[in-house]
Amino acid sequence: MTSGGLATFVVRRLAAAMALVAVVSVGALLLVRLAPGDATTDLVLAHVDEATIARTRARLGLDRPFLVELGDWLAGVAHLDLGESSAFGRPVADLVGERVLKTAELASLALVLAVALGLPLGVLTGSRPGGLFASCVAPISIGILSCPPIVGAFGLMLLALGTGWLSIAPGDPVVPALALALPLAATIERVQSQATAEVLAAPGAGAAAARGLPPWRLLWVHAARQAVRPLLGVAGVIVGTLFSGSLAVEWVTSWPGLGRLLYDGIVGRDPFLVAGCALSGAVLIAAANLAGDLARGLADPRVRVS
Amino acid sequence: MTSRRAGVGLLGFVAVAALCAPVLAPNPPDVPFPDRAYAPPMHVHVLAAGGLHAPFIFAQTLHDRLMREYRDDASVRHTLHWFSRGRLVSLGDDDGPLLLLGADALGRDVFARLLYGARVSLGVAALGVAGALARGTAAGGLAGSLGGAVDLALMWMADLVVVLPGAYLVLVLRGALPLRLSTGAVFWLMAALFAASAWPHVARGVRAIVAAERARDYAEAARAAGAGPLRLIGHLLPAARGFLGVETVLLLPSLLVAEATISVLGLGFPGPSPSWGGMLQEATNVSVLAGAPWLLAPAAALCVVALAVHLAAGRPMLTSSRS
Amino acid sequence: MPIKRLPVIATVVAVAAAIFFVWRQAGPGPHGRASAPASGGELVATMRTEPKSFDRLVSSRSAEELLSRLTQAPLVRVNRLTGQVEPWLASSWTTSADGLTWTFKLREGVTFSDGAPFTAADVVFTFDALYDPKVGSEEASSLRIHDQPISVRAVDDHTVVLGFPSAFGPGISLLDSLPMLPRHKLQDALAAGRFADAWSVTTPPAEIVGLGPFALSEYRPGERLVLVRNPHYWRRDADGRALPYLDRLDLDIVPEQDAELLRLQSGQADLTTSEVRPEDLAVLKPLADAGRVQLVTAGVSTSPDCLWFNLTPGAAVAKTRPWLQAVELRRAISLAVDRDAIVNTVFLGAAEPVWSPVTPSHGEWYLPDQPHPARDLAEARRLLASIGLTDRHGDGLLEDAADRPARFSLLTQKGHSLRERTAAMLQEQLKQIGLTVDVVAVDPQTIIARYTDRSYDAIYFVAPSDSIDPARNLDFWMSRGAFHYWNASQASPATAWEATMDDLMRRQSTSLDPAERRRLFAEVQRTLSTELPVICFAAPRITIAMSARVRGATPSVLPPLVLWNADTLSVAPGRGASRP
Repeated sequence: MTSGGLATFVVRRLAAAMALVAVVSVGALLLVRLAPGDATTDLVLAHVDEATIARTRARLGLDRPFLVELGDWLAGVAHLDLGESSAFGRPVADLVGERVLKTAELASLALVLAVALGLPLGVLTGSRPGGLFASCVAPISIGILSCPPIVGAFGLMLLALGTGWLSIAPGDPVVPALALALPLAATIERVQSQATAEVLAAPGAGAAAARGLPPWRLLWVHAARQAVRPLLGVAGVIVGTLFSGSLAVEWVTSWPGLGRLLYDGIVGRDPFLVAGCALSGAVLIAAANLAGDLARGLADPRVRVS
Repeated sequence: MTSRRAGVGLLGFVAVAALCAPVLAPNPPDVPFPDRAYAPPMHVHVLAAGGLHAPFIFAQTLHDRLMREYRDDASVRHTLHWFSRGRLVSLGDDDGPLLLLGADALGRDVFARLLYGARVSLGVAALGVAGALARGTAAGGLAGSLGGAVDLALMWMADLVVVLPGAYLVLVLRGALPLRLSTGAVFWLMAALFAASAWPHVARGVRAIVAAERARDYAEAARAAGAGPLRLIGHLLPAARGFLGVETVLLLPSLLVAEATISVLGLGFPGPSPSWGGMLQEATNVSVLAGAPWLLAPAAALCVVALAVHLAAGRPMLTSSRS
Repeated sequence: MPIKRLPVIATVVAVAAAIFFVWRQAGPGPHGRASAPASGGELVATMRTEPKSFDRLVSSRSAEELLSRLTQAPLVRVNRLTGQVEPWLASSWTTSADGLTWTFKLREGVTFSDGAPFTAADVVFTFDALYDPKVGSEEASSLRIHDQPISVRAVDDHTVVLGFPSAFGPGISLLDSLPMLPRHKLQDALAAGRFADAWSVTTPPAEIVGLGPFALSEYRPGERLVLVRNPHYWRRDADGRALPYLDRLDLDIVPEQDAELLRLQSGQADLTTSEVRPEDLAVLKPLADAGRVQLVTAGVSTSPDCLWFNLTPGAAVAKTRPWLQAVELRRAISLAVDRDAIVNTVFLGAAEPVWSPVTPSHGEWYLPDQPHPARDLAEARRLLASIGLTDRHGDGLLEDAADRPARFSLLTQKGHSLRERTAAMLQEQLKQIGLTVDVVAVDPQTIIARYTDRSYDAIYFVAPSDSIDPARNLDFWMSRGAFHYWNASQASPATAWEATMDDLMRRQSTSLDPAERRRLFAEVQRTLSTELPVICFAAPRITIAMSARVRGATPSVLPPLVLWNADTLSVAPGRGASRP
């Protein structure tokens, strides 16, 4: 890869990322418009009279034609002003900023735990696909994966409550990070296991062994580097979804992250909040994909990244 | 390859059980039995005073409704009836319902709901996975082998699908569709939604594998021999077979959860027809989970199905299609 | 040897000391030793949503209402237990004979939490802000009497005169929900038209000044609100001690009811927002027996869930199904439903069967001698046959004269387990008389949207009201009300019985004679039970769970369930959850 090629690559990806952000935000605003009900709907439940509801709608800017609303919002985005959230009464940019940090804290911890657990386990089970170790670990991984996230989160909370080994104090990230990390570790283990087994079964591995490469080096250096390729391919999606926050875990452990924010925006029919969350999600996933592709290019220089 | 056959056999067994639900289930799935809310599973005994008996259960009585306590009355025995009233096994008319996996919050038979629910949930999940795999493989294959603008465009679409708030799409659909939807309509709609939302993960993985394969010698050789793009893809795709097998195992549980999420947003299977996602959603209550773990039967069943798929996918074979 | 005995003595002393400390730490059980409430201590309560504004006039959802009760004070307070109006910031009042003029004497020497004196000018300012069109207060509509504002005039620093536009039965009890705001803090904002943003959630807590028992000390968005004792709080207890007893009150934001319960069980929280669900009692009762949790039943709910049909004349849904709007259908349903089965299965027995939205917890308003017809399937079928619904194919399902199936859809709230389960049971039970019900569970926004558009067949839902006095809930009883569920916002009453109800309610809300008001409302209830525009099945018993530390709690069925008298809450001495 020439440096010129790299620069073109990055520029094209950035352009694509910006287009993504634009489409997602417009799409989000449009969808909020189309969904039944708006931010003033729950005022009806509070017995607020129609005149006040109309006034509130005007104050929140919900009675503007869609294109005007879109135009105003895009103009605001240029100054990094993402509008005001009707559900929280604060600027969306502040809300998203706070929550991104909290989600990042959790996601980083979960990612580290998951990779530390899943990657080596996957390599080990992949190296001996029919062995005893693999036969034990694979069903456990699948069992963890079959567990719906909310049940897993509750299960962990109940475990923490019952045994007292883990703290479920409000600000403590350990339990939510574990709840996020376990299914992710299982995914990583499965993908890595498959890929490692394939690489080891390929002729190249046999040739390397015949050349006298010690087995551990074969496994952990040669094979793992090649096998991590499909993992890096999906890394973008994984990291992107992780950093967009996991609603189930955040809900159960009341961690103030992006997942809950988006959900509050959906329930409260809050157009700017949803658009803001979608926008930040788009930025995160584009960045994660870019990083994943670059890493893949580094891991295997034969790959022609275009 | 015994494990492979075991996996396929298990899948077949599950499919047959689901299809024969009306015969296998001791009770209809939507009838709330009075005084049976959160009833625990009944134990089938064959040993009693005086040796072996035809299988029977002890009568289950409600002891404390609020505390959800049930007792078995050891003095009253109800023998199981076989092949009566079109059902494989059941209890006599006045003996109450046979609750092999206990009852849910409304006193409905969990085992029956599990069997009937398998038809819709597994069917929708299978269809969704197939759709996602097909779409993802096509997109990933094209992106990985052709590269360039095609790659950029396809992966951009994948990102779009991941980031767009799908929940809102479901809400808009819910608002636009008529209030009353038939089970069939929901079935196809959900399968389509799954396929449309789950393909990015598959596409990214396939793309990475195909892109790496493309640079290998045999691919260069094929290109030199004049193979067109589609034929080239045909050569490269088999390398992704193993990954697709893993993806199937990964997708099945996540689609089940997606089913539950979609039903929260209002597009779930209507009314009394049970589905695994719906059953799990009703059971998600921490006080209930601790005291009535049989309500998690769908998650356990799903685990079995996922394991079966894992076994059936087999160990990674030598991808010897390349030579 | 003496030295060798030292370790033994030391061990004995250590063990005794350990036993002593453990015994002390265990604390008193629910019936504690201490009789006088201890001053000091912290209480941790949880709430589900966070406030959108610190100003109750701007936003009046439950989080804002709770915060307002804790940090602000009204002129008079309605005691949730007795239902009587109590002097609060106003020490006494007199009224004219026609009930239109009320003269209030304000308490002397009351200051805001920043030391500024409370005077009549603050009262006038609050009413100005309330009715100001630029503010667009959500609270204003509940403080209008028959859509007219209340006039207010300050006679001197400690006397205000309130003028009601017309006679109002509930009297000044409606002032319970209006907090007195500090003029010196918000006057400029009101004059400049910025009142709605003046106390937004980004305002520094020190600016939020009030007359309530607590003052806002810290707001961590998404996590918690911290309230500390207001040193200038005017109220004292019967022994003359300064209130509140608590030093600090934390409101943790926990969006999920299960998570709240886990916090309560683990000791991280002392109090939860809402009542416990029937299935939680199996977990909490053993804890209560062990003395770690208190369970208090506050009474039967005052707003049970209701089933109602779309009775809009000429509604599109009824075009091909005129029987949908017939009163015989509703009577048949009320006769066919097995209320006991609903109470036993959905509520696990922790509820009472009801036939109307007025339950025994409505106190003197409840009419005990209403007929409660027993379940009668034969009579239900006969009623349905009288509107043309008979079983024409012998399959147990009814069809109308044109052989169309007797089928309707029932909207209910997704995620609300009690409503969903009741709807499922209704579906099952109405199948027995041949009616096919399609239960459609959607989110509340969609329900409201369909309700407003009148594009629904039937809905099973409720809008809780915060008062048991029916004249405070005219939106439901009057045909022109926006929450007259079955046919809202009518220009003029569509049916004779609604016209009768309108007349009765109008007289009931303008009469000043309590006996007359009760008599009129009894008539309204009789009409309701004949015409059945809303059908109710069960009213849950409200049980509240709190940690064993909490003292002085007198829970009520009206929100805020426990914190309505937060100034007399205290905690037992001993450890609570440690808080940063």
